[in-house]
Amino acid sequence: MIFSINRTMAIFQKDVKDVSRNVFVGTTLLVPILMAIVYKNIGEVTLEIHYTVINLTFSSVAAFVQCTLIAEEKEKNTLRSLMLSPASILEILGGKSILTALITLFTIFISAVITGYAPSHPFVIIIGLLVSCLFYLALGTLLGLMTSSVMEASVAVLPVMFLFGFGTLLQQVSDKYPVLSIIDYLPNLQLLELAKKVESGASFSSLFVNLIVILMAGILSSALVFMIYQKRTLKD
Amino acid sequence: MEKVIEIESLSKHFSDKTALDNLTLYIKKKEIFGLLGPSGSGKTTMIKILTGQMKPSRGSTSLLGIPSEKLKQKNIFQKVGIMTDNSGLYDRLTVKDNLKLFCNLFSVSENCIHRALELVNLGDEQNKKVALLSKGMKQRVLLARIFLHQPEILFLDEPTSALDPVNTQAIYTALKDMNRDGATIFLTTHDMVEADTLCDRVAFLNRGHIQLLGSPKSIKQRFADQTLTLESLDGLEHVFESNEKDARHIYEMLRTNQVVSIHSNEPTLEDVFVKVTGSDLR
Repeated sequence: MIFSINRTMAIFQKDVKDVSRNVFVGTTLLVPILMAIVYKNIGEVTLEIHYTVINLTFSSVAAFVQCTLIAEEKEKNTLRSLMLSPASILEILGGKSILTALITLFTIFISAVITGYAPSHPFVIIIGLLVSCLFYLALGTLLGLMTSSVMEASVAVLPVMFLFGFGTLLQQVSDKYPVLSIIDYLPNLQLLELAKKVESGASFSSLFVNLIVILMAGILSSALVFMIYQKRTLKD
Repeated sequence: MEKVIEIESLSKHFSDKTALDNLTLYIKKKEIFGLLGPSGSGKTTMIKILTGQMKPSRGSTSLLGIPSEKLKQKNIFQKVGIMTDNSGLYDRLTVKDNLKLFCNLFSVSENCIHRALELVNLGDEQNKKVALLSKGMKQRVLLARIFLHQPEILFLDEPTSALDPVNTQAIYTALKDMNRDGATIFLTTHDMVEADTLCDRVAFLNRGHIQLLGSPKSIKQRFADQTLTLESLDGLEHVFESNEKDARHIYEMLRTNQVVSIHSNEPTLEDVFVKVTGSDLR
Protein backbone atom coordinates (compact mmCIF):
# COMPACT_ATOMS: atom_id res chain seq x y z
CA MET A 1 0.00 0.00 0.00
CA ILE A 2 1.28 3.44 -0.99
CA PHE A 3 1.66 5.95 1.85
CA SER A 4 2.88 9.51 1.52
CA ILE A 5 3.02 11.71 4.60
CA ASN A 6 2.92 14.81 2.34
CA ARG A 7 -0.38 13.79 0.77
CA THR A 8 -1.83 12.85 4.18
CA MET A 9 -0.80 16.22 5.61
CA ALA A 10 -2.20 18.04 2.54
CA ILE A 11 -5.62 16.51 3.22
CA PHE A 12 -5.29 17.34 6.93
CA GLN A 13 -4.35 20.97 6.19
CA LYS A 14 -7.25 21.28 3.78
CA ASP A 15 -9.59 19.96 6.49
CA VAL A 16 -8.21 22.45 9.04
CA LYS A 17 -9.12 25.35 6.71
CA ASP A 18 -12.44 23.82 5.72
CA VAL A 19 -13.57 22.88 9.24
CA SER A 20 -12.51 26.25 10.69
CA ARG A 21 -15.21 27.79 8.47
CA ASN A 22 -17.77 25.13 9.34
CA VAL A 23 -20.16 26.46 12.01
CA PHE A 24 -21.86 23.08 12.34
CA VAL A 25 -18.67 21.40 13.59
CA GLY A 26 -17.89 24.31 15.92
CA THR A 27 -21.24 24.04 17.68
CA THR A 28 -20.97 20.25 17.98
CA LEU A 29 -17.73 20.64 19.95
CA LEU A 30 -19.48 22.78 22.51
CA VAL A 31 -22.02 20.11 23.53
CA PRO A 32 -19.70 17.92 25.70
CA ILE A 33 -17.98 21.01 27.14
CA LEU A 34 -21.34 22.49 28.15
CA MET A 35 -22.33 19.15 29.61
CA ALA A 36 -19.10 19.07 31.64
CA ILE A 37 -19.86 22.56 32.99
CA VAL A 38 -23.42 21.50 33.94
CA TYR A 39 -22.25 18.34 35.76
CA LYS A 40 -19.52 20.29 37.56
CA ASN A 41 -22.10 22.73 38.89
CA ILE A 42 -24.64 20.08 39.91
CA GLY A 43 -22.45 18.59 42.62
CA GLU A 44 -19.96 15.79 43.13
CA VAL A 45 -18.71 14.37 39.85
CA THR A 46 -18.41 10.57 40.06
CA LEU A 47 -16.30 8.37 37.79
CA GLU A 48 -19.49 7.40 35.88
CA ILE A 49 -20.19 11.07 35.18
CA HIS A 50 -16.62 11.71 34.04
CA TYR A 51 -17.05 8.88 31.55
CA THR A 52 -20.52 9.96 30.48
CA VAL A 53 -18.90 13.21 29.34
CA ILE A 54 -15.91 11.39 27.77
CA ASN A 55 -18.09 8.86 25.93
CA LEU A 56 -20.41 11.61 24.77
CA THR A 57 -17.37 13.41 23.37
CA PHE A 58 -16.34 10.28 21.51
CA SER A 59 -19.78 9.72 20.03
CA SER A 60 -20.70 13.34 19.33
CA VAL A 61 -17.29 14.58 18.22
CA ALA A 62 -15.20 11.63 16.98
CA ALA A 63 -18.05 9.62 15.44
CA PHE A 64 -20.52 12.37 14.56
CA VAL A 65 -18.09 14.97 13.20
CA GLN A 66 -16.11 12.34 11.27
CA CYS A 67 -19.34 10.92 9.86
CA THR A 68 -20.60 14.29 8.65
CA LEU A 69 -17.20 15.28 7.22
CA ILE A 70 -17.05 12.08 5.15
CA ALA A 71 -20.73 12.37 4.16
CA GLU A 72 -20.17 15.97 3.05
CA GLU A 73 -17.23 14.88 0.88
CA LYS A 74 -19.52 12.29 -0.69
CA GLU A 75 -22.42 14.70 -1.13
CA LYS A 76 -20.25 17.29 -2.88
CA ASN A 77 -18.36 14.69 -4.93
CA THR A 78 -15.03 15.77 -3.48
CA LEU A 79 -14.35 12.28 -2.10
CA ARG A 80 -14.59 10.96 -5.67
CA SER A 81 -12.05 13.59 -6.75
CA LEU A 82 -9.68 12.43 -3.99
CA MET A 83 -10.23 8.81 -5.04
CA LEU A 84 -9.27 9.71 -8.62
CA SER A 85 -5.99 11.27 -7.50
CA PRO A 86 -2.80 9.40 -6.62
CA ALA A 87 -3.81 9.47 -2.92
CA SER A 88 -4.34 6.00 -1.42
CA ILE A 89 -7.15 4.98 0.92
CA LEU A 90 -4.76 5.21 3.89
CA GLU A 91 -3.72 8.75 2.92
CA ILE A 92 -7.29 9.93 2.30
CA LEU A 93 -8.93 8.43 5.38
CA GLY A 94 -5.83 8.97 7.52
CA GLY A 95 -5.65 12.62 6.50
CA LYS A 96 -9.36 13.03 7.16
CA SER A 97 -9.10 11.42 10.61
CA ILE A 98 -6.18 13.41 12.05
CA LEU A 99 -8.19 16.58 12.57
CA THR A 100 -11.19 14.82 14.12
CA ALA A 101 -8.86 12.88 16.42
CA LEU A 102 -7.11 16.07 17.57
CA ILE A 103 -10.41 17.90 18.12
CA THR A 104 -11.81 14.93 20.07
CA LEU A 105 -8.78 14.57 22.34
CA PHE A 106 -8.67 18.33 22.92
CA THR A 107 -12.38 18.37 23.85
CA ILE A 108 -11.85 15.44 26.24
CA PHE A 109 -8.93 17.28 27.85
CA ILE A 110 -10.96 20.48 28.32
CA SER A 111 -13.96 18.52 29.68
CA ALA A 112 -11.71 16.55 32.06
CA VAL A 113 -10.20 19.80 33.33
CA ILE A 114 -13.69 21.22 33.90
CA THR A 115 -15.03 18.11 35.69
CA GLY A 116 -11.73 17.71 37.56
CA TYR A 117 -10.94 14.18 36.39
CA ALA A 118 -7.46 13.08 37.53
CA PRO A 119 -6.88 9.33 36.99
CA SER A 120 -4.50 7.40 39.27
CA HIS A 121 -2.55 6.05 36.28
CA PRO A 122 -2.89 8.59 33.45
CA PHE A 123 -0.72 6.52 31.09
CA VAL A 124 -3.17 3.58 31.04
CA ILE A 125 -6.13 5.91 30.65
CA ILE A 126 -4.45 7.77 27.79
CA ILE A 127 -3.84 4.43 26.01
CA GLY A 128 -7.51 3.56 26.57
CA LEU A 129 -8.63 6.92 25.19
CA LEU A 130 -6.40 6.61 22.10
CA VAL A 131 -7.63 3.10 21.32
CA SER A 132 -11.24 4.23 21.85
CA CYS A 133 -10.63 7.18 19.55
CA LEU A 134 -9.59 4.77 16.77
CA PHE A 135 -12.85 2.86 17.21
CA TYR A 136 -15.08 5.96 17.11
CA LEU A 137 -13.24 7.44 14.12
CA ALA A 138 -13.68 4.18 12.23
CA LEU A 139 -17.34 4.06 13.21
CA GLY A 140 -17.90 7.64 12.04
CA THR A 141 -16.05 6.99 8.79
CA LEU A 142 -18.08 3.85 8.20
CA LEU A 143 -21.39 5.65 8.68
CA GLY A 144 -20.18 8.54 6.51
CA LEU A 145 -19.30 6.15 3.69
CA MET A 146 -22.63 4.37 3.96
CA THR A 147 -24.72 7.52 3.76
CA SER A 148 -24.91 9.90 0.83
CA SER A 149 -25.55 13.31 2.39
CA VAL A 150 -24.90 15.27 5.58
CA MET A 151 -28.63 15.17 6.37
CA GLU A 152 -28.74 11.38 6.01
CA ALA A 153 -25.55 11.01 8.06
CA SER A 154 -26.93 13.19 10.86
CA VAL A 155 -29.88 10.82 11.20
CA ALA A 156 -27.83 7.62 10.83
CA VAL A 157 -25.45 8.64 13.61
CA LEU A 158 -28.18 9.29 16.21
CA PRO A 159 -28.51 5.66 17.42
CA VAL A 160 -24.71 5.53 17.71
CA MET A 161 -24.71 8.68 19.84
CA PHE A 162 -27.39 7.19 22.06
CA LEU A 163 -25.80 3.75 22.34
CA PHE A 164 -22.27 4.96 22.98
CA GLY A 165 -22.93 8.35 24.52
CA PHE A 166 -25.40 7.15 27.13
CA GLY A 167 -24.27 3.54 27.42
CA THR A 168 -24.13 3.66 31.21
CA LEU A 169 -27.94 3.92 31.24
CA LEU A 170 -28.16 0.82 29.06
CA GLN A 171 -25.90 -1.03 31.46
CA GLN A 172 -28.62 -0.79 34.09
CA VAL A 173 -31.01 -2.49 31.63
CA SER A 174 -28.48 -5.24 30.88
CA ASP A 175 -28.19 -5.94 34.61
CA LYS A 176 -31.89 -6.82 34.62
CA TYR A 177 -31.89 -8.85 31.39
CA PRO A 178 -28.88 -11.22 31.08
CA VAL A 179 -29.55 -11.65 27.37
CA LEU A 180 -28.43 -8.04 26.93
CA SER A 181 -25.12 -8.66 28.70
CA ILE A 182 -23.37 -8.25 25.34
CA ILE A 183 -23.82 -4.51 25.94
CA ASP A 184 -21.08 -4.79 28.56
CA TYR A 185 -18.59 -5.44 25.75
CA LEU A 186 -19.31 -2.13 24.03
CA PRO A 187 -16.14 0.03 23.87
CA ASN A 188 -17.70 2.80 25.95
CA LEU A 189 -18.50 0.46 28.84
CA GLN A 190 -15.14 -1.27 28.50
CA LEU A 191 -13.49 2.13 28.86
CA LEU A 192 -15.51 2.85 32.01
CA GLU A 193 -14.60 -0.57 33.41
CA LEU A 194 -10.96 0.12 32.62
CA ALA A 195 -11.14 3.40 34.52
CA LYS A 196 -12.81 1.72 37.51
CA LYS A 197 -10.08 -0.94 37.59
CA VAL A 198 -7.39 1.73 37.40
CA GLU A 199 -8.90 3.53 40.38
CA SER A 200 -9.21 0.28 42.37
CA GLY A 201 -5.54 -0.56 41.68
CA ALA A 202 -6.19 -3.69 39.57
CA SER A 203 -3.33 -5.60 37.96
CA PHE A 204 -2.12 -4.70 34.45
CA SER A 205 -3.23 -8.08 33.07
CA SER A 206 -6.85 -7.38 34.03
CA LEU A 207 -6.63 -3.89 32.43
CA PHE A 208 -5.19 -5.51 29.32
CA VAL A 209 -8.45 -7.41 28.68
CA ASN A 210 -10.47 -4.17 28.41
CA LEU A 211 -7.89 -2.57 26.16
CA ILE A 212 -7.91 -5.62 23.86
CA VAL A 213 -11.73 -5.58 23.61
CA ILE A 214 -11.69 -1.90 22.63
CA LEU A 215 -8.82 -2.48 20.21
CA MET A 216 -10.64 -5.41 18.57
CA ALA A 217 -13.72 -3.23 18.08
CA GLY A 218 -11.47 -0.62 16.45
CA ILE A 219 -9.78 -3.15 14.17
CA LEU A 220 -13.11 -4.67 13.16
CA SER A 221 -14.62 -1.25 12.34
CA SER A 222 -11.47 -0.25 10.41
CA ALA A 223 -11.66 -3.47 8.37
CA LEU A 224 -15.29 -2.68 7.55
CA VAL A 225 -14.27 0.86 6.53
CA PHE A 226 -11.68 -0.53 4.08
CA MET A 227 -14.24 -2.95 2.66
CA ILE A 228 -16.97 -0.34 2.17
CA TYR A 229 -14.46 2.17 0.74
CA GLN A 230 -13.29 -0.34 -1.88
CA LYS A 231 -16.91 -1.08 -2.75
CA ARG A 232 -17.67 2.63 -3.12
CA THR A 233 -14.59 3.16 -5.33
CA LEU A 234 -15.88 0.78 -7.99
CA LYS A 235 -19.62 0.89 -8.61
CA ASP A 236 -21.46 -2.04 -10.16
CA MET B 1 0.92 3.49 -33.57
CA GLU B 2 0.65 3.41 -29.79
CA LYS B 3 -2.78 2.66 -28.37
CA VAL B 4 -3.25 4.41 -25.02
CA ILE B 5 -6.90 3.54 -24.46
CA GLU B 6 -8.28 0.14 -25.44
CA ILE B 7 -11.87 -1.00 -25.24
CA GLU B 8 -12.61 -4.64 -26.00
CA SER B 9 -16.13 -6.12 -26.37
CA LEU B 10 -17.40 -3.72 -23.70
CA SER B 11 -20.98 -4.01 -22.49
CA LYS B 12 -22.73 -2.31 -19.60
CA HIS B 13 -26.24 -3.23 -18.59
CA PHE B 14 -28.30 -1.53 -15.91
CA SER B 15 -31.41 -3.21 -14.56
CA ASP B 16 -33.74 -1.73 -17.14
CA LYS B 17 -31.37 -0.58 -19.87
CA THR B 18 -28.33 -1.47 -21.95
CA ALA B 19 -26.01 1.54 -21.86
CA LEU B 20 -23.12 0.05 -23.88
CA ASP B 21 -23.41 -2.97 -26.11
CA ASN B 22 -20.33 -4.92 -27.20
CA LEU B 23 -18.11 -1.95 -28.10
CA THR B 24 -14.57 -2.38 -29.38
CA LEU B 25 -12.47 0.72 -29.87
CA TYR B 26 -9.00 2.11 -29.34
CA ILE B 27 -7.60 5.61 -28.96
CA LYS B 28 -4.14 6.43 -30.27
CA LYS B 29 -1.49 8.41 -28.42
CA LYS B 30 -1.82 12.21 -28.94
CA GLU B 31 -5.30 11.81 -30.41
CA ILE B 32 -8.28 14.00 -29.49
CA PHE B 33 -11.19 11.61 -29.57
CA GLY B 34 -14.80 12.66 -29.22
CA LEU B 35 -17.61 10.37 -28.12
CA LEU B 36 -20.79 11.99 -29.36
CA GLY B 37 -24.32 11.17 -28.44
CA PRO B 38 -27.53 12.51 -26.98
CA SER B 39 -28.02 12.80 -23.21
CA GLY B 40 -28.35 9.37 -21.63
CA SER B 41 -26.60 7.58 -24.49
CA GLY B 42 -23.89 6.07 -22.26
CA LYS B 43 -21.08 8.61 -22.75
CA THR B 44 -20.51 9.24 -19.03
CA THR B 45 -20.82 5.51 -18.29
CA MET B 46 -18.01 4.93 -20.79
CA ILE B 47 -15.71 7.42 -19.01
CA LYS B 48 -16.55 5.93 -15.61
CA ILE B 49 -15.68 2.42 -16.81
CA LEU B 50 -12.47 3.59 -18.50
CA THR B 51 -11.31 5.38 -15.36
CA GLY B 52 -12.08 2.46 -13.06
CA GLN B 53 -15.07 4.08 -11.34
CA MET B 54 -17.56 1.52 -12.60
CA LYS B 55 -17.43 -2.19 -13.39
CA PRO B 56 -18.37 -3.28 -16.90
CA SER B 57 -20.97 -6.03 -17.29
CA ARG B 58 -18.77 -7.70 -19.91
CA GLY B 59 -15.54 -7.01 -21.79
CA SER B 60 -12.46 -5.07 -20.75
CA THR B 61 -10.86 -1.64 -20.94
CA SER B 62 -7.32 -0.46 -20.32
CA LEU B 63 -5.33 2.77 -20.05
CA LEU B 64 -1.64 2.77 -20.99
CA GLY B 65 -1.84 -1.03 -21.01
CA ILE B 66 -3.18 -1.23 -17.42
CA PRO B 67 -6.66 -2.74 -16.92
CA SER B 68 -9.05 0.00 -15.75
CA GLU B 69 -9.96 -1.80 -12.52
CA LYS B 70 -6.27 -1.85 -11.51
CA LEU B 71 -5.52 1.84 -12.17
CA LYS B 72 -5.43 2.76 -8.48
CA GLN B 73 -3.11 -0.11 -7.55
CA LYS B 74 -0.72 0.80 -10.35
CA ASN B 75 -0.76 4.51 -9.43
CA ILE B 76 -1.79 5.51 -12.96
CA PHE B 77 -3.84 8.48 -11.75
CA GLN B 78 -0.61 10.49 -11.65
CA LYS B 79 -0.76 10.38 -15.47
CA VAL B 80 -4.51 10.89 -15.87
CA GLY B 81 -6.78 13.93 -15.55
CA ILE B 82 -10.50 13.34 -15.13
CA MET B 83 -13.38 15.79 -15.21
CA THR B 84 -16.83 14.25 -15.04
CA ASP B 85 -20.22 15.17 -13.67
CA ASN B 86 -19.13 13.75 -10.31
CA SER B 87 -16.06 15.95 -9.87
CA GLY B 88 -16.44 18.31 -6.92
CA LEU B 89 -14.84 21.33 -5.27
CA TYR B 90 -14.59 22.47 -1.65
CA ASP B 91 -17.09 25.34 -1.45
CA ARG B 92 -15.75 26.90 1.76
CA LEU B 93 -12.19 27.11 0.42
CA THR B 94 -10.78 29.57 -2.09
CA VAL B 95 -9.97 28.60 -5.66
CA LYS B 96 -6.26 28.65 -4.78
CA ASP B 97 -6.70 26.43 -1.70
CA ASN B 98 -8.67 23.92 -3.78
CA LEU B 99 -5.89 23.76 -6.36
CA LYS B 100 -3.16 23.75 -3.69
CA LEU B 101 -4.57 20.50 -2.28
CA PHE B 102 -4.35 18.83 -5.67
CA CYS B 103 -0.84 20.18 -6.29
CA ASN B 104 0.20 18.33 -3.14
CA LEU B 105 -1.73 15.18 -4.04
CA PHE B 106 -0.13 15.10 -7.50
CA SER B 107 3.29 16.17 -6.14
CA VAL B 108 3.59 19.23 -8.38
CA SER B 109 4.82 22.69 -7.43
CA GLU B 110 2.26 25.25 -6.26
CA ASN B 111 3.67 27.54 -8.96
CA CYS B 112 1.53 25.55 -11.41
CA ILE B 113 -1.63 27.09 -9.94
CA HIS B 114 -1.17 30.46 -11.61
CA ARG B 115 -0.46 28.91 -15.02
CA ALA B 116 -3.47 26.57 -14.79
CA LEU B 117 -5.78 29.44 -13.81
CA GLU B 118 -4.47 31.61 -16.65
CA LEU B 119 -5.32 28.81 -19.08
CA VAL B 120 -8.98 28.92 -18.03
CA ASN B 121 -9.20 32.74 -17.74
CA LEU B 122 -9.43 32.71 -13.94
CA GLY B 123 -6.11 34.34 -13.12
CA ASP B 124 -7.77 37.10 -11.09
CA GLU B 125 -10.13 34.87 -9.12
CA GLN B 126 -7.70 32.69 -7.17
CA ASN B 127 -8.54 34.20 -3.79
CA LYS B 128 -12.28 33.99 -4.29
CA LYS B 129 -14.30 31.42 -2.32
CA VAL B 130 -15.60 28.63 -4.56
CA ALA B 131 -19.10 29.05 -3.07
CA LEU B 132 -19.24 32.51 -4.65
CA LEU B 133 -18.40 31.34 -8.17
CA SER B 134 -20.89 30.82 -10.99
CA LYS B 135 -21.47 27.35 -12.47
CA GLY B 136 -19.29 28.18 -15.46
CA MET B 137 -16.46 29.44 -13.24
CA LYS B 138 -16.61 26.27 -11.13
CA GLN B 139 -16.36 24.23 -14.32
CA ARG B 140 -13.25 26.22 -15.26
CA VAL B 141 -11.72 25.60 -11.82
CA LEU B 142 -12.28 21.87 -12.36
CA LEU B 143 -10.53 22.16 -15.71
CA ALA B 144 -7.66 24.11 -14.13
CA ARG B 145 -7.37 21.34 -11.55
CA ILE B 146 -6.74 18.69 -14.19
CA PHE B 147 -4.30 20.96 -16.03
CA LEU B 148 -2.11 21.23 -12.88
CA HIS B 149 -0.18 18.00 -13.28
CA GLN B 150 -0.11 17.99 -17.11
CA PRO B 151 -1.58 14.51 -17.50
CA GLU B 152 -0.81 12.17 -20.38
CA ILE B 153 -4.48 11.31 -20.80
CA LEU B 154 -7.43 13.61 -20.16
CA PHE B 155 -11.01 12.44 -19.76
CA LEU B 156 -13.45 15.29 -20.14
CA ASP B 157 -17.19 14.84 -19.80
CA GLU B 158 -18.87 17.72 -21.63
CA PRO B 159 -16.05 20.13 -20.71
CA THR B 160 -17.62 23.33 -21.99
CA SER B 161 -21.31 22.65 -21.31
CA ALA B 162 -21.70 25.60 -18.88
CA LEU B 163 -19.32 28.04 -20.57
CA ASP B 164 -19.87 31.18 -22.61
CA PRO B 165 -18.34 31.40 -26.12
CA VAL B 166 -15.27 33.43 -25.04
CA ASN B 167 -14.29 30.98 -22.31
CA THR B 168 -15.15 28.03 -24.53
CA GLN B 169 -12.56 29.30 -27.03
CA ALA B 170 -10.00 29.69 -24.23
CA ILE B 171 -10.57 26.07 -23.18
CA TYR B 172 -10.28 24.89 -26.80
CA THR B 173 -6.93 26.69 -27.07
CA ALA B 174 -5.70 25.17 -23.79
CA LEU B 175 -6.75 21.68 -24.84
CA LYS B 176 -5.12 22.02 -28.25
CA ASP B 177 -1.90 23.23 -26.59
CA MET B 178 -1.91 20.27 -24.21
CA ASN B 179 -2.53 17.93 -27.11
CA ARG B 180 0.38 19.50 -29.01
CA ASP B 181 2.55 18.82 -25.94
CA GLY B 182 1.64 15.13 -26.12
CA ALA B 183 -1.61 14.66 -24.21
CA THR B 184 -4.27 12.27 -25.44
CA ILE B 185 -7.78 13.62 -24.92
CA PHE B 186 -10.98 11.60 -24.65
CA LEU B 187 -14.00 13.85 -24.49
CA THR B 188 -17.72 13.36 -24.57
CA THR B 189 -20.02 16.01 -25.91
CA HIS B 190 -23.29 16.60 -27.61
CA ASP B 191 -21.94 19.83 -29.07
CA MET B 192 -21.17 19.02 -32.69
CA VAL B 193 -19.26 22.29 -33.25
CA GLU B 194 -16.99 21.38 -30.34
CA ALA B 195 -16.37 17.93 -31.81
CA ASP B 196 -15.68 19.41 -35.23
CA THR B 197 -13.29 22.03 -33.81
CA LEU B 198 -11.31 19.79 -31.47
CA CYS B 199 -11.47 16.15 -32.46
CA ASP B 200 -9.21 14.11 -34.71
CA ARG B 201 -11.76 11.29 -34.65
CA VAL B 202 -15.30 11.02 -33.38
CA ALA B 203 -17.67 8.14 -32.68
CA PHE B 204 -21.45 8.42 -32.72
CA LEU B 205 -22.87 6.56 -29.74
CA ASN B 206 -26.54 5.78 -29.82
CA ARG B 207 -28.57 3.14 -27.95
CA GLY B 208 -25.37 1.49 -26.75
CA HIS B 209 -23.82 1.10 -30.20
CA ILE B 210 -21.16 3.03 -32.07
CA GLN B 211 -22.95 3.83 -35.28
CA LEU B 212 -20.22 5.78 -37.04
CA LEU B 213 -16.50 6.28 -36.47
CA GLY B 214 -14.01 8.51 -38.29
CA SER B 215 -12.59 11.99 -38.61
CA PRO B 216 -15.19 14.80 -38.71
CA LYS B 217 -14.01 15.71 -42.20
CA SER B 218 -14.27 12.19 -43.61
CA ILE B 219 -17.69 11.69 -42.03
CA LYS B 220 -19.03 14.92 -43.51
CA GLN B 221 -17.57 14.12 -46.93
CA ARG B 222 -19.07 10.65 -46.83
CA PHE B 223 -22.51 12.12 -46.29
CA ALA B 224 -22.14 15.10 -48.64
CA ASP B 225 -24.71 15.10 -51.43
CA GLN B 226 -22.23 16.25 -54.15
CA THR B 227 -24.10 19.49 -54.90
CA LEU B 228 -23.05 23.13 -55.04
CA THR B 229 -25.11 26.14 -54.02
CA LEU B 230 -24.55 29.33 -55.97
CA GLU B 231 -25.93 32.74 -55.06
CA SER B 232 -26.49 35.02 -58.02
CA LEU B 233 -26.61 38.82 -58.33
CA ASP B 234 -30.40 38.81 -58.28
CA GLY B 235 -30.31 37.27 -54.77
CA LEU B 236 -31.47 33.82 -55.83
CA GLU B 237 -29.85 30.57 -54.70
CA HIS B 238 -29.24 27.90 -57.31
CA VAL B 239 -28.38 24.29 -56.44
CA PHE B 240 -26.25 22.45 -59.01
CA GLU B 241 -25.52 18.77 -59.25
CA SER B 242 -22.29 17.17 -60.32
CA ASN B 243 -22.89 16.74 -64.09
CA GLU B 244 -21.77 18.30 -67.36
CA LYS B 245 -24.95 20.29 -67.95
CA ASP B 246 -24.79 22.00 -64.54
CA ALA B 247 -21.05 22.57 -64.89
CA ARG B 248 -21.67 24.45 -68.13
CA HIS B 249 -24.40 26.49 -66.41
CA ILE B 250 -22.05 27.47 -63.58
CA TYR B 251 -19.31 28.39 -66.08
CA GLU B 252 -21.75 30.61 -67.95
CA MET B 253 -22.81 32.42 -64.76
CA LEU B 254 -19.20 32.94 -63.75
CA ARG B 255 -18.30 34.22 -67.23
CA THR B 256 -21.13 36.78 -67.12
CA ASN B 257 -20.22 37.95 -63.58
CA GLN B 258 -23.55 36.87 -62.08
CA VAL B 259 -22.05 34.95 -59.13
CA VAL B 260 -21.98 36.41 -55.60
CA SER B 261 -20.94 33.23 -53.76
CA ILE B 262 -20.50 29.52 -54.37
CA HIS B 263 -20.07 26.70 -51.88
CA SER B 264 -20.26 22.91 -51.62
CA ASN B 265 -23.20 21.47 -49.69
CA GLU B 266 -21.53 19.45 -46.90
CA PRO B 267 -23.74 18.35 -44.05
CA THR B 268 -22.86 19.31 -40.47
CA LEU B 269 -21.97 16.57 -38.00
CA GLU B 270 -25.37 17.11 -36.45
CA ASP B 271 -27.07 16.49 -39.80
CA VAL B 272 -25.08 13.27 -40.20
CA PHE B 273 -25.90 12.17 -36.65
CA VAL B 274 -29.61 12.68 -37.17
CA LYS B 275 -29.43 10.87 -40.51
CA VAL B 276 -27.47 7.90 -39.12
CA THR B 277 -29.22 7.45 -35.81
CA GLY B 278 -32.61 8.95 -36.41
CA SER B 279 -32.18 10.79 -33.06
CA ASP B 280 -31.86 14.42 -32.22
CA LEU B 281 -28.69 15.45 -30.36
CA ARG B 282 -30.29 16.86 -27.23
